[in-house]
Amino acid sequence: MTIVEAIIAAHAGRGDVRAGELVTAKVDRVYLQDGNSPTIRQLFKTYGFDSVFDPDRVAIFFDHSVIAPDLHIANRLKEAQEFAERLGVRVFRAGAGISHVVALEIGWFEPGTIVIGSDSHTCTGGATQCLALGMGASDAAAAMVTGETWLRVPDTLWLQVVGKPNRFTTAKDVVLHVLAKFKQERFLYKSVEWAGDWVEQLSLDGAATVANLGVELGAKATFLPPGPGRPEGMRPVAMPDSDDPRRIKVDISDLPPMVALPNSPSKGVPIDQCRGQRIDYVFVGSCTNSRLEDIAEVARVLDSASVHPKVYCLVSPGSQSVYLQALERGYIETLTRAGAIVTPPGCSACLGTQGSIPASGDRVLSTMNRNFLGRMGNAQAQIFLASPIVAAHAAVRGEIPRLSELA
Amino acid sequence: MSHEPIPLRIRRMSQVISTDDIIPGRYKHMFTDTSELAKHVFENLLPGFAATIRTGDAIHCTDTFGIGSSREQAVSSLMAAGVKAVFAPRFGRIFFRNAWNLGLIAIEIPAMPGGDMDVVKLYLAEGRLSGPLGEASFAPPPQAMLDMLQQGGLLAMVQKRLVGRTRETAHP
Repeated sequence: MTIVEAIIAAHAGRGDVRAGELVTAKVDRVYLQDGNSPTIRQLFKTYGFDSVFDPDRVAIFFDHSVIAPDLHIANRLKEAQEFAERLGVRVFRAGAGISHVVALEIGWFEPGTIVIGSDSHTCTGGATQCLALGMGASDAAAAMVTGETWLRVPDTLWLQVVGKPNRFTTAKDVVLHVLAKFKQERFLYKSVEWAGDWVEQLSLDGAATVANLGVELGAKATFLPPGPGRPEGMRPVAMPDSDDPRRIKVDISDLPPMVALPNSPSKGVPIDQCRGQRIDYVFVGSCTNSRLEDIAEVARVLDSASVHPKVYCLVSPGSQSVYLQALERGYIETLTRAGAIVTPPGCSACLGTQGSIPASGDRVLSTMNRNFLGRMGNAQAQIFLASPIVAAHAAVRGEIPRLSELA
Repeated sequence: MSHEPIPLRIRRMSQVISTDDIIPGRYKHMFTDTSELAKHVFENLLPGFAATIRTGDAIHCTDTFGIGSSREQAVSSLMAAGVKAVFAPRFGRIFFRNAWNLGLIAIEIPAMPGGDMDVVKLYLAEGRLSGPLGEASFAPPPQAMLDMLQQGGLLAMVQKRLVGRTRETAHP
């Protein structure tokens, strides 16, 4: 059985399951975020639900609006807080960090388990072979109440990565390349198992970035192989024969860093196709690229340079733990002295629910996961996606750097 | 499931549609009332479109529909605006789940038997559509999905199950 089939079968009380089947499966954990929990609270009220299957295995994270930007959102946050208290579930208060970043840190994505999150980037749990599924409010509510969910067993695809990329090319760039080259249709509804030396050698932070972008591929789930810093209990990826159409080979030899053009993560191009593009606003953060490794890269570049006087540069650590480690290592001081603004941990500018919202006509370079029209709260801004290294250089130069300008 | 055909007026779209396109993020954090959200559907991509939707409309998207975020409001705000069904060659998986969970009919179909503003008839359980351009067929939804639709959605089913359990406990 593939990884996804083995996990679903074990949770459906079955010896095996086949792709395409609809099954009911037990879930191990459920978490919500502040943006959807007011709606879920409404659903509980409407349907007369008043408890959850296991309060220790349900959590509500306050991450999307850490600093309430308006009255409406402030009132919704209060409703969410009251809802969490009434149910007695675990609460991660504003400032604790982004749900997916924290969930990985505290071991909520155990290998072989099923976790449901009311946010599409829950798929981050694939970094440690957890079947971590982003779902909507009703699905999350049903799982909270019953401890079960309905699933269609997905087909599996294997992405075999070969070759060694450019030294400035990161996990983010490889996924942008895969998406640009193979297109989302190929991965829709599928379970994707990554394989090859490159992915086996990724750090846990890099693995989390790859898994996090699984939803941008359109995949139902992605699974990374065991590697450094990963927990016990992960299974090796077992690929079909090399001529099997379900096995996709990706050669990343000398792949340069990538930049996704507005307004889709699937519009990735090699960095030099964007050289000289003016940038007004740089955002380093989001569940894709806000871990210690990401902050360290930006601090390394800004250690000997300053943010361009015309650039607004925002850096948001993904969790309190990342923030504290970055403080301890001097990264926060480096960033601040260089002219960047460091915010409290959380989703920050990623989706226009807190700010800072870009001005009309602004050209933004962001390390987040998606640049759909209006994503950051202003449809008149243009958003480019790239890695933290490229973002840091863009912040210094006020434009997208050339490959030869990276250091 | 009723075998009566459902009449639908087609509203055609011809690009990849994300859930951010359907309802921008900030509104879902501001409002839980779907009638508030309904005013803002497709606001960034197709300004003014929301006001032209009428009850019984169906969206036909010629590319992938509903990619991106998990926001169920992408479904509930379309339903509050009056949209009864969405047809597309492919869907974002979370949108597809949310649609059936809430009772919005979502059908994977390569082509439609009618163009923009045409009225078509949907024979859901048979997997068939008829319209001015003829007939089109699709894989009929599994019985479990039709049952969910008929029973008023996922949470109505959960509610029924819980009531059943309470009764069993009270009267063993």
